[in-house]
Amino acid sequence: MENDIAKTTLRIAEIIINELKLEDVTPETFDPDLDLVDEIGIDSMDLATIALVLRDEYGIRIDEDDYPKLTTVRIIAQYITDKSA
Amino acid sequence: MITVSSLLDDHWYARYKKISKLNIRSSIYDVTDRCNLRCKGCFFFSSGEHEVAKEETDITRWDAFIEKEMARGVNLAILIGGEPTLCMDRIEAFYKRLPTFCATNGLIKVDRDRFPDLMVGISLWGNPEDETTLRGKDTFKISSANYQGDPHTYYLYTITPKQLGKTEEIIKKIRDIGVKVHMQLLSNDEGVDGFSWQPRELVDIRSEMDDMLDTYPDTVISSKYYHEIITTGKMLGRPFGWMECPSVTEPIDKRDPRPKRLTNFIRWASDLQTMHRCCTSETRDCSTCKDGAAHMSWVMVNKRAHIKTTKDLQNWIEVYEMFAKLYQFIPW
Repeated sequence: MENDIAKTTLRIAEIIINELKLEDVTPETFDPDLDLVDEIGIDSMDLATIALVLRDEYGIRIDEDDYPKLTTVRIIAQYITDKSA
Repeated sequence: MITVSSLLDDHWYARYKKISKLNIRSSIYDVTDRCNLRCKGCFFFSSGEHEVAKEETDITRWDAFIEKEMARGVNLAILIGGEPTLCMDRIEAFYKRLPTFCATNGLIKVDRDRFPDLMVGISLWGNPEDETTLRGKDTFKISSANYQGDPHTYYLYTITPKQLGKTEEIIKKIRDIGVKVHMQLLSNDEGVDGFSWQPRELVDIRSEMDDMLDTYPDTVISSKYYHEIITTGKMLGRPFGWMECPSVTEPIDKRDPRPKRLTNFIRWASDLQTMHRCCTSETRDCSTCKDGAAHMSWVMVNKRAHIKTTKDLQNWIEVYEMFAKLYQFIPW
């Protein structure tokens, strides 16, 4: 289970890096507790784009009302794991 | 990777934290189709928007409509017109439910017993001479008497090319009655002879606006980056226009690619059913639009684009703070 969350965390970091075209960072060096809104300026449009990729990859739908809660990669990974269970 | 905290010192980071989670979701409402003035250059009448829809007069329908708007996530109601103060019951319907801003020409006083902290923005088009030319009377004389010393009021000073070199006299008058002022520019296509901006004039007015901010920082609510954006029409090298504007009504926004935009933004006509295309008139040429709120929002929704250098991010913070002050999300 822990292994799954770790894998999901890395994959989400990778998706965010790719979608937002972030430079000088890899999935491994991405701080999973970094506040995505406060620190890299992610907004609801970015989250909607990321949510589409996650839906395709994990087969889960992220409710728009949940966006404000999804503030870090770790929280998103836990959210996906819980929804997939 | 560049992060906000890597770009800001403690002072700027503290300022950033005060606004970073405000999550302002505004929409604009035409409260009425009527006005007690007919100003040359008012987009609402010059583009025929007052004839688009028949205004709803049943206040219970306004109540129900506003409830639906809140359920849609709106947390800031921007009331425009016509002249909203002709319909105080409709203003009250918004005011008792959510943060509300009311644009007005200031001729009718908002009763502070009924609306103690309603933010009021009074339109002003220049000195008495230009006010008379454009609006038929010197409205400042009346509005300043109505709102002197009011902490929940500011003047929305629309600067025209004829105001070049004269803005200080206006700012001083506003300072002297103890009210704040925010500056914006008249858009060129409002069809008023002699009131269209030329490129050289835009350079000059930017410098003048900067001077006013430096000289009267306690009165002028603005930022130099905003002055740059509004006078050059460019942000980070990108020109403003239809494909960049953040203030397009969302359900009818078919742009592809879709630019960064205001979430769930709608500008409603006063029949509570018709949606206008954007925050200003459909007849306006977007490439020369000078709408102040649209330009502020343009900066605000492009936050990530400003997380590149310290100066860019500080500029973004200053514009966001300006907007948050003008709509009372943070104090003056």
